[in-house]
Amino acid sequence: MPASSQPVVVIAGLSHSYGSGATRRQVLFDLDLTILPGEVVFLMGPSGCGKTTVLTLVGGLRSVQQGSVRIAGRELLGADEAGLIANRRNCGFIFQSHNLHRSLTALENVRMGLEAQGRGLPADADERCRRILAVVGLEDHATKRQDQLSGGQRQRVAIARALVSEPTLVLADEPTAALDRQTGHDVVALMRRVARERGATVLMVTHDNRVFDLADRILEMEDGRIVGSRQGDSPVPHAGAGHRLEYTT
Amino acid sequence: MPIRRRTPLGWKQLVHSKGRLAVATAGVAFAVLLIFMQLGFMNMLFDSTVMIHRQLNADIVLVSSKARDFANPGTFPRARLLQALSTPGVADAEALYVTSRDWIKQSSNDRGERGAMLLLGVRPDFKAFRDPEITAKQHLLVETGAALFDRQTRGDYTAFRAAIERGERPQTELGGRTVTLVDTMQMGSTFGAEGALIVSDQSFFEFAINRNPGAPSVGLVRVEARRDAEAVAAAIRARLGGYDDTMAMTMEKFIEHSKIRIQQESPIAFIFSFGAVIGMLVGLVIVVEILSADVHDHMAEYATFKAMGFTNRALLGVVFEQSLILSVAGFIPGLGISLALYALVRSTLTMPIAMTLERLLLVLFLAVALCVISGAIAMRRVAKADPADVF
Repeated sequence: MPASSQPVVVIAGLSHSYGSGATRRQVLFDLDLTILPGEVVFLMGPSGCGKTTVLTLVGGLRSVQQGSVRIAGRELLGADEAGLIANRRNCGFIFQSHNLHRSLTALENVRMGLEAQGRGLPADADERCRRILAVVGLEDHATKRQDQLSGGQRQRVAIARALVSEPTLVLADEPTAALDRQTGHDVVALMRRVARERGATVLMVTHDNRVFDLADRILEMEDGRIVGSRQGDSPVPHAGAGHRLEYTT
Repeated sequence: MPIRRRTPLGWKQLVHSKGRLAVATAGVAFAVLLIFMQLGFMNMLFDSTVMIHRQLNADIVLVSSKARDFANPGTFPRARLLQALSTPGVADAEALYVTSRDWIKQSSNDRGERGAMLLLGVRPDFKAFRDPEITAKQHLLVETGAALFDRQTRGDYTAFRAAIERGERPQTELGGRTVTLVDTMQMGSTFGAEGALIVSDQSFFEFAINRNPGAPSVGLVRVEARRDAEAVAAAIRARLGGYDDTMAMTMEKFIEHSKIRIQQESPIAFIFSFGAVIGMLVGLVIVVEILSADVHDHMAEYATFKAMGFTNRALLGVVFEQSLILSVAGFIPGLGISLALYALVRSTLTMPIAMTLERLLLVLFLAVALCVISGAIAMRRVAKADPADVF
């Protein structure tokens, strides 16, 4: 990972609650977290411990209530809707269920990642989409819709969609949950590799210990707090600048 | 940097659910059809009201102040016609007698059914109608009881028409007297009458024994060449100033006056307008349901797009795009079916129903408005899609 860069994610004193009054329930307590550029960080912990809430706050999908969340230098505490949208455009999202649009082809779904930037599509948009589909091994599936793709292929399209706009930060929410062991590992390995190639940082929520070897750092959460941090089981060497790894399944 | 066109997401969503697209298109088409038919019938009523007006060969008309429509024009004293004739600028003036009479149809099935005919009585040597065919045949009306038969009369008159074409002179009963159909002409039916018969003024009083020559229905006044009809009409009005039993107006004003009268006095205009509104509402309900169901089915995708950075406005544009597509997709078959039904009405009822550019554009506008309103209702759900829900 680039050692001299500024942190991509800086969280300080983050607390968050759902509901109000008697039904108010605090899910995050005074959380601190810093993630460096290019780092692949897994967030794990039991259900309801607050992992997904962290992900949604970092992604600008919820407003920060208390504490500071700074993404690539942009403070999200007090950010208006436009500020949150700008942050979302700087992130690539990969969801538990791929959430591909069922009426669009793989290529069109990936293109939505560029259209989401709100700047109009560049002339070479399709070329860029085809290139990243080739990177995830789906160059021959560009015109297929999701019902013509396997679970692993769909998740690879989702990865391509998340990364096509070259985001600073990739946020993934249990992307292996619906996949078998080998496919799940392949998908995360691919996500990690492509993110690295494009200089993106990855924050991924997962329960899946089968992919822990792909993390640089694993954070354990419990009851809204980070209770542990360790290095990944078997770190993979980082790709250098301009170096492209071949994808194999 | 050159910009590529964005993905037509609304279109993609619509064509992906072909069944839903078909239902939505049918719903809009039905609404369009209903509106076209209601407006068509309403305008047919208005047009048929003035259909005969347009055929009268007059620059100015005199009618009773109590005149309602052409089938019930009332009468005015013939002396007013003479007063008009003496007004400077008037070339000539003649009386037209109008009434409705039952006759025995004697259609091809020969059941001897009765029908209502509009009876027009005019002096045979006076060119009362613009149609040269009628003028050329008016000399046949000199014979008492002779009539020119409107070949556009609504109903089955194959036997009459065939007999006349063979050179025969079929007879039937009109107002309890024998009428001889000496030839045909073209006039067209109205809501109140199935067709028209033109007879001489003398024959008219044979068939309408309650009428007298001193009380015509319409005065047909022609002005001298290069005289302004409006100015002459004003002069006639001034001359008739002391009498409020007769109105004098140009033919254009007469047509306008008759249309306004039918619009204001007849409940039919309201009924047809109400029908058009019902058509709009039916279409609105169908399209709202379809778009809402589509939005509901795609909520996860919309939330995903929001999470990716799409603005509410961009996603509302998708629903708006769907609305516009549905309005055009529904309008085209709705227009096609309406045109076919207009043709059917024209051929079976022989009434003046036709598509006008104004009506076409109005209904297209209404169809777009209908779909945009439906889209706006459905859009509220899109705006509520929470990007955090995708996790």
